Amino acid sequence: MSPSPLLEVTNLVTHFHSRTGIVKAVDGVSFALRRGEVMGLVGESGSGKSITGFSIIGLIDPPGRVEGGSIKLDGRELVGLPSSELRGIRGKSISMVFQDPMMTLNPMLTIGTQIRLALEAHEDVSAAEGRKRAIAALRQVRIPEPETKVDFYPHQFSGGMRQRVAIAIALLHRPKLIIADEPTTALDVSIQAEILVEMKELVAELGTSMIWISHDLATIASIADHVCVMRSGKIVEAGPVLDVLTRPKHPYTQSLLDALPSRAKPGALLARGAGTDAAPPPRLARLAESGRRKAEIPYFVIDAVGKRFQQKAGVLRLLAQKMGIARPAPSVQAVDSVSLTLTRGEALGLVGESGSGKSTLGRMAAGIYAPDAGHVLLDGEPVMSSGDRPHKITTRIQTIFQDPFASLNQRMRIGDSISEGPIAHGLVSRAEAGHYVRQWLAAVGLDPAFASRYPHQFSGGQRQRVAIARALAMQPDVVVCDEPVASLDVSIQAQIINLLIRLRSELDLTLIFISHDLSVVRHLCDRVAIMHRGRIVESGTASEVYDHPQDPYTQRLLAAVPVLPVA
Amino acid sequence: MLGHVTGRIAQALVVMLVMSMLVFVGVHAIGNPIDVLIGPDVSQDIRLETIARYGLDRPLYEQYFTFLGRILHGDFGRSFVFGMPVLDLILSRLPATLELTLSAVCGAALIGIPAGIYAGYRPDGFAAKIIMTVSILGFSVPTFWIGLVLIMTFAVELQWLPAGGRGDTVAVFGVEWSFLTLNGLSHLLLPALNLAFFKLALMTRLARAGTREAMLSDTVKFARAAGLSEWTVLRRHVLRLIAIPLVTVFGLEFASTLAFAVVTETIFSWPGIGKLIIDSITSLDRPVMVAYLMLVAFVFITINFLVDLAYVGLDPRLRKAGSR
Repeated sequence: MSPSPLLEVTNLVTHFHSRTGIVKAVDGVSFALRRGEVMGLVGESGSGKSITGFSIIGLIDPPGRVEGGSIKLDGRELVGLPSSELRGIRGKSISMVFQDPMMTLNPMLTIGTQIRLALEAHEDVSAAEGRKRAIAALRQVRIPEPETKVDFYPHQFSGGMRQRVAIAIALLHRPKLIIADEPTTALDVSIQAEILVEMKELVAELGTSMIWISHDLATIASIADHVCVMRSGKIVEAGPVLDVLTRPKHPYTQSLLDALPSRAKPGALLARGAGTDAAPPPRLARLAESGRRKAEIPYFVIDAVGKRFQQKAGVLRLLAQKMGIARPAPSVQAVDSVSLTLTRGEALGLVGESGSGKSTLGRMAAGIYAPDAGHVLLDGEPVMSSGDRPHKITTRIQTIFQDPFASLNQRMRIGDSISEGPIAHGLVSRAEAGHYVRQWLAAVGLDPAFASRYPHQFSGGQRQRVAIARALAMQPDVVVCDEPVASLDVSIQAQIINLLIRLRSELDLTLIFISHDLSVVRHLCDRVAIMHRGRIVESGTASEVYDHPQDPYTQRLLAAVPVLPVA
Repeated sequence: MLGHVTGRIAQALVVMLVMSMLVFVGVHAIGNPIDVLIGPDVSQDIRLETIARYGLDRPLYEQYFTFLGRILHGDFGRSFVFGMPVLDLILSRLPATLELTLSAVCGAALIGIPAGIYAGYRPDGFAAKIIMTVSILGFSVPTFWIGLVLIMTFAVELQWLPAGGRGDTVAVFGVEWSFLTLNGLSHLLLPALNLAFFKLALMTRLARAGTREAMLSDTVKFARAAGLSEWTVLRRHVLRLIAIPLVTVFGLEFASTLAFAVVTETIFSWPGIGKLIIDSITSLDRPVMVAYLMLVAFVFITINFLVDLAYVGLDPRLRKAGSR
């Protein structure tokens, strides 16, 4: 192998100019990549890892600009090339795969058309030849029946299949370098495992070099040879994956590793207890009264609940169905006769891939959806009223949602968001509300003075703290957490997990924790239920399920999780 | 799909029925046409006889059902003023409005969409700023004023184009069209331009907003990362991504212009249905008003349906429900 590297990035600087000043997204990054090598670029959001990728492929849009440094591909300088020459390199010598396959492909065009457009960008091909090449490209990324699939539209594919199509397009012209920007982050863990294996094989087979950008140390460990750790536009540590992940030299790398629940003892505080310096949560007198346990009844019971989603058929459609002209609208059995029992203070993890029905089950448990069959009981009392239009009749169950951007009203001060429920249900008077809110903000580790701010003034992690305060201010006994840390960076995730661990023990909360992330669930939960296609395939204590999975689906799921190397 | 179409047709029939009632009652509330039709100095006998002849002495619901019954036979009644069947009257005027509207809306789309896409593609460029300024003018300056300025400039001062009328027409399939003769085209140009101005602004701004959003999408980034030229990205990806709102507005504007091109037709003395309806309102010509408003409802329903079909043609995701 020639000693000269394929890609040599020296002192790369990319700035974004805005009215408020200059954002130094990439601030003096240098690295080299050999032919056939896979390099991992890891960092949290805002670290500049994606901008580094876009700078290399020459796709920095105004107000961003590559301000300086050098990017040499095979000895050829790319910085300062006119856009027409950069276009000639894009897709041909360097190509890119993006994070969300739902967004990258054009929903209006067939897969075949999109592949042909990418082909025609660098070659003159006839329609028949283009189709043949498209089919071959699909076959290469292991899409079954490529001859028919080539005429499909993106929406007819699953997320994993779409990502395969995107990879096929990236590989079309046998590029020397592929930049993969979080290509498996939006996918389920089992699909991620497949894509990881396939990508690894494909780049090895074609001799392509790859830069794998990710926030997830474990996926990087399973695909990359080298890793660069980025923070605030700079590379803080670089080296062989095994060295960096087992013997980190930089404190930031160490703190990233400490934040991972998979490396900690279950139930212990993460990242040396970061984010737990908060006041105790306020309690109301009512809590003591409701705490009286009715010993003979199981505490929280989900009994044979089922939920089917179906489009409401109109009068005409019903008529047509009667006459046999139309078929009934397609329906989805999201949850199919699931039963669970929780004891007081228990934390149950509900794990499954997308579409497994875990969120639907959580929403039925929380009294958001009415089950079609079965019922949910807390202390022997139903959570929802019966009748034609059932509604939630208890405040003792609350929910924390995944996306704090969507679940907080953008036009309401967060103090009002938090006090709205307690005031409406008479937990606190309007006069006491201000004090009560401030106590809760302190309890979730926020400055009590933030009560008068609006959601957009907070970061994602802070917003999730607000959402937690809002749910707990209702003084619930049971909290349903629907992927509360899924959209957060690992260090923020660790803080939120710590907060949940602390509040749970201080308030004696019963938790239903819904997640696709097996390591987070193991860390937080006593018991785990694995969901697949609307049913619970396996449940038991966390250690039982994780260490001795019985069901083949659970076994596959656990095997698919990428693991960090241990020293 | 078939179920969908039959559902829409049933819906349309219900809408038309309700519309006919509203129009019928509404038109009766405006005033009594007899006062306009006959002079105040005629004798009471003749007055009563005229009322009876037009069936205006009978109760409203009876008049309505007679009217409905006639419609089912394709008879919309006779104009009080022109004394000819209303349907013939409207159909004789419709082609003029149709060609005016079509050329205005299509012209607006053909110029506005590319201009908007360009303005969205290079939002900070000098040309984009000019395009957006012109489009603000198109929004804010009243149509009648632009019409007058056009006449003043091109017809009076420069004397390049005629100020009004339809010019020479050619009959195709028994219908007279202006746009097939040079003289007719010269008559068509100014009113079409006048009518197109607002729509041009609308299409431009819509296309610009859509393009700005689409240019930031991952789809476009991915297409660029694959090395597609900017022209291909705009033509094959962006245009498809922004098509749905454009088609919607195109349909709505086409329908509303067809129905309410009144101002322009009046200024340019264009003998279309806009002028007809104004004349029939001033003379309280009930059958014409009723038939015209029914026609408008029909046009809106039809165009909305066509727009829905266009959605299905454009967006494969909407096909899924039907093909399953």
